[in-house]
Amino acid sequence: MAEAAASMSSDALRREASSRDASGPSGTKPRHALSRRNIFLYGTLIVVALYYLLPLYVMIVTSLKGMPEIRLGNIFSPPLEITFEPWVKAWSQACTGLNCDGLSRGFWNSVRITVPSVLLSIAIASVNGYALANWRFKGADTFFIILIVGAFIPYQVMIYPIVIILREIGIYGTLTGLVIVHSIFGMPILTLLFRNYFTSMPEELFRAARVDGAGFWGIYLRIMLPMSLPIFVVAIILQVTGIWNDFLFGVVYTRPDTYPMTVQLNNIVNSVQGVKEYNVNMAATILTGLVPLIVYFVSGKLFVRGIAAGAVKG
Amino acid sequence: MAAAIANPSVSIQDLSLNFGVMSVLKTLNLDVAEGEFIVLLGPSGCGKSTLLNCIAGLLDISEGRIFIKGKNVTWEEPKDRGIGMVFQSYALYPQMTVEKNLSFGLRVAGVPKDEIAKRIARAAEILQIEPLLQRKPSALSGGQRQRVAIGRALVRDVDVFLFDEPLSNLDAKLRSELRVEIKLLHRRLQNTMIYVTHDQIEAMTLADRIAVMKGGVIQQLDAPQTIYNRPVNRFVAGFLGSPAMNFIKGHLEASDAPVFKADGVSVPLGRYQFDNEGGRAAKPCVFGIRPEHIAFGEAARAMPFTAESTVEIVDPMGSDTLVWTKLGGQILSFRVEADKTLRSGDAIRIGFDPARASLFDAETDSRL
Repeated sequence: MAEAAASMSSDALRREASSRDASGPSGTKPRHALSRRNIFLYGTLIVVALYYLLPLYVMIVTSLKGMPEIRLGNIFSPPLEITFEPWVKAWSQACTGLNCDGLSRGFWNSVRITVPSVLLSIAIASVNGYALANWRFKGADTFFIILIVGAFIPYQVMIYPIVIILREIGIYGTLTGLVIVHSIFGMPILTLLFRNYFTSMPEELFRAARVDGAGFWGIYLRIMLPMSLPIFVVAIILQVTGIWNDFLFGVVYTRPDTYPMTVQLNNIVNSVQGVKEYNVNMAATILTGLVPLIVYFVSGKLFVRGIAAGAVKG
Repeated sequence: MAAAIANPSVSIQDLSLNFGVMSVLKTLNLDVAEGEFIVLLGPSGCGKSTLLNCIAGLLDISEGRIFIKGKNVTWEEPKDRGIGMVFQSYALYPQMTVEKNLSFGLRVAGVPKDEIAKRIARAAEILQIEPLLQRKPSALSGGQRQRVAIGRALVRDVDVFLFDEPLSNLDAKLRSELRVEIKLLHRRLQNTMIYVTHDQIEAMTLADRIAVMKGGVIQQLDAPQTIYNRPVNRFVAGFLGSPAMNFIKGHLEASDAPVFKADGVSVPLGRYQFDNEGGRAAKPCVFGIRPEHIAFGEAARAMPFTAESTVEIVDPMGSDTLVWTKLGGQILSFRVEADKTLRSGDAIRIGFDPARASLFDAETDSRL
């Protein structure tokens, strides 16, 4: 080796030395911010984002204008004179039927519907899913299949029978009735979600807890529950947004003074009498959509993690 | 099989387990003596873990009875059986600290606080996990986790320990370390232990008796040395021992001095101990001899049987060397010390004592 190096000309030696310094590619491959790939990728993303944000922009801008300015017809131009009048009106003065206390009534109705429905449906569905995943009782598979098939039955088919059932029980038109309906209809998808999540947990953990003497509820509350935060977040998001955005059940199973926010919004926006107050309508719509929006923003990361953990395995 | 044990710690009587039409365990009987270390050994799918889960009460059995400490526990819940169990994947509760993991079962059972503290202190001392008590399982290494899992069985103060492949998730070095620890633990506690594994070295080193299982049936239940030296059938013979036993097909020639014959080889079986006299009848059979029982070179001359052969392949394994050759036209391997230098094609002399061999019926595979 040493002899070979000595016999080399000084030129060759220099060349070898130069191949060892930084001139050639080495280390991390450099990335250019303005490569064709990046321009294409981010260009597309920006265009799509603008496309989806444009309606929101129009809504916000319109809701901040007065009616004379709206009549000019420049829907994309920013407001010349910012006014919060439409927001105040939408929240507390807009009329639906005989009530003129704005969306606030619908908001509190929706809260009183959503909170108990979410809690009740998740409490039942998580225990369902846990029992189906870990306590394989006789007929568990059949039960599960029936539950899943339930998820595919169109709601419309069941509306009238449920009206009769609620009437017979004597809770038709009450918030209690609607809460029960929401809880029942959330059951198939939530049970599936929880069952799959609990199935993906190591079976030996469950066995160890049984050897340790924990029973059905002991294992559920002390072992399974503390390990399943992500899937609970997913379930809460699904239910909050689903129930908050529901229109059909709200309009069918409640009375005008207990209408949820969505139904009330519809009544404000679609009222045929008088002037169409676009600014109030826009403000009312944003107000109604605010709750699901906030839920998504706050819990985005947990949501993705939970979906990935719970939804894949069958 | 083994004689009846007077006061068995665990007694399994005519146990069967079926999943639908599939029969997993078939009328199985097993008596485990007080303080005995029993290893259930077999390939995957042989039903050994299933049997352990049945003993633990985690699986409902189809037929038969299970007694622990003389009490019929066939229909009892796992917690009422007086067992502690250690799982392959450790199965520690991830959201609890080591201390809470250890105490969970005791808290469920409503054991008083000072008693819990006492038992945890004792278990932590035995397993040397005192510094880890406030940690979460995710902050532990594999070996530490398994130690905690053993501790969880320990604090329950039970009669019988069940181990379900506890070392299979560990690397080779840790496995041998923990194996020694489990052995010391058994010596110290003197509890009955039932240990499931597919690793024959664990079985040989730990067990008082080994139950070799296949297809839901216990093939042989005996002391490790007996199973190693006198396997009851070809499956047991081939499953235990590494490198595996050599099998040479041939036939038995009956006479006053029986002889095993295969293509150009005849092995006198005068020194072979037949299981029963009926075994001496002429029939096709398989001759089994372990690689470590074959002598080579000068040592071979002293053996009752010797033969000339040539080396085919040499596999150095560090501590010793495995040499592949042929006998009677069939492949045969044997062990030599690592310092013996052999090359392919070398002419050699090998020999063995037929008394150390095993002879199997070619049809039934059982020992003659």
